[in-house]
Amino acid sequence: MSDSAIAIKFDHLRVEFGGNLLAIDDFSLSIAKGEFVSIVGPSGCGKTTVLNLLTGLLPLEQGRIEILGKKPVAGNLDIAYMLARDSLLPWRTTLGNATFGTGIRKISKPKRDARALELLHQVGLAGFENHYPKALSHGMRQRCALARTFALDSPIMLMDEPFGALDAQTKLQLEDLLLELWQAELRTVVFITHDLAEAVALSDRVIVMSARPGRILADITINLSRPRSVRALQKDPAFHLIYSQVWSELERGIMASGA
Amino acid sequence: MKFISRLPLKLLGHIVFLLFFLNAWEFASRYEWLNPTFFGRPSGIVIYIFKGLFISRDLWLDLSYTVAGTLISFFLGSTSAICVGLAFAMFPKLEKASEPYFMVLNAMPRLALAPLFLLWFGLGIWSKVAVGTSLSFFIVLASTVAGIRGVSADHVTLARALGASSYQLFFQVTLPSAVPVIASGLRLGLIFSMLGVIGSEIIAAEHGLGQVLAYLQSTFNMNGVMGVTLLLAFFGMTLTVAMAKLERIFLKWQ
Repeated sequence: MSDSAIAIKFDHLRVEFGGNLLAIDDFSLSIAKGEFVSIVGPSGCGKTTVLNLLTGLLPLEQGRIEILGKKPVAGNLDIAYMLARDSLLPWRTTLGNATFGTGIRKISKPKRDARALELLHQVGLAGFENHYPKALSHGMRQRCALARTFALDSPIMLMDEPFGALDAQTKLQLEDLLLELWQAELRTVVFITHDLAEAVALSDRVIVMSARPGRILADITINLSRPRSVRALQKDPAFHLIYSQVWSELERGIMASGA
Repeated sequence: MKFISRLPLKLLGHIVFLLFFLNAWEFASRYEWLNPTFFGRPSGIVIYIFKGLFISRDLWLDLSYTVAGTLISFFLGSTSAICVGLAFAMFPKLEKASEPYFMVLNAMPRLALAPLFLLWFGLGIWSKVAVGTSLSFFIVLASTVAGIRGVSADHVTLARALGASSYQLFFQVTLPSAVPVIASGLRLGLIFSMLGVIGSEIIAAEHGLGQVLAYLQSTFNMNGVMGVTLLLAFFGMTLTVAMAKLERIFLKWQ
């Protein structure tokens, strides 16, 4: 991969907490621009730590990270971040929440409102612009969080188990919505999840991490055609074949690591 | 339909109960089963309030002193408390350093300071304002600090990852999230302002319902004592209802 095609590069990352708890060990990975990469692994394997290092919220001590050729810093405009919980501000309306990120980044009000209204329409929240979060269902709240994330024009999106708390049905709907929004712009996505099926269905590549200390067990390219529909994939034998292949790689990785 | 028929029934129940209660009281004191010197009687209370408000009209002046004292001390106490609370949030070292002093001041029974405040500020309105302010200040301060500390970690992470400056973080995340807790502190602070003002008036004041109460009590005018207490209860209720209304307007997202 030539350097200009790389969005994110991790080079021999090693993270220790409190001097003795090894959280991440020997983590090297290159992610191409426009690639949708999922990182799966058991809880506590350091997935969220990887994201926190990218956002610059956690200082990097050993190893190197390059984001579009630059070191990670807090408030990097190249990054849009989406958390596991919707973290909508309860005192802001749907529109107010969708414009929260662009407001922080000082985009002018007419511009950010127009962009947010367009996105709210796309995520199916037209008519709910002036509702407060308490009046929205879990799925709707996460739709609003998607709109907030996509309203930012950052080329890189970090998503930390964004659909982890949703029921299966809503989750499929939102996964498709995410793919639809992503397909239109092809930004680089780093998607953290513990759900292997979700990772396979969404991604170009799935990175499997071991339990603590987090190491990369497998790096698997998913050869499913784009554009995809996660809901259609559920009935697609090719998807299930790839899923079982990834699953056996994961098992082999676990065996090899002696865990 | 059910709702319509139930509401007047409830009201009717209250009316029947109150009529029964007041009549029992009235007759018990008329036939001296209850000593009217200690308990007064409903008819006497109504006459006292009616006279004081509409015939001699001398209760209005005292009422206005109590109301003004309460509102001024609430305003002074809560604004200064919110300012100090915000300063604490911005400079945690300041909070750490001043914590022991505030703890001692807060532990002090403020009403016991009333005689001192009377000497410093005189018998006019300012001595009772000082007591009321000192009571409401600490309550609102505690809730401001608690509200600011209670900000959601997710909201802070999100804002910082988006690149919020500490100024943006404070005014767009921390402060608005603290508002409901501050509001409940304000509700309490208002009641405590009233408490402080009336307590101070009972000890000594030129005007004020607390002073009227102390005078009536010392002259064994129980109808007056009951009447003034009732007026104070109405005043307190009006304040609480008004605060709840304001809260509903400003915190409609809750």
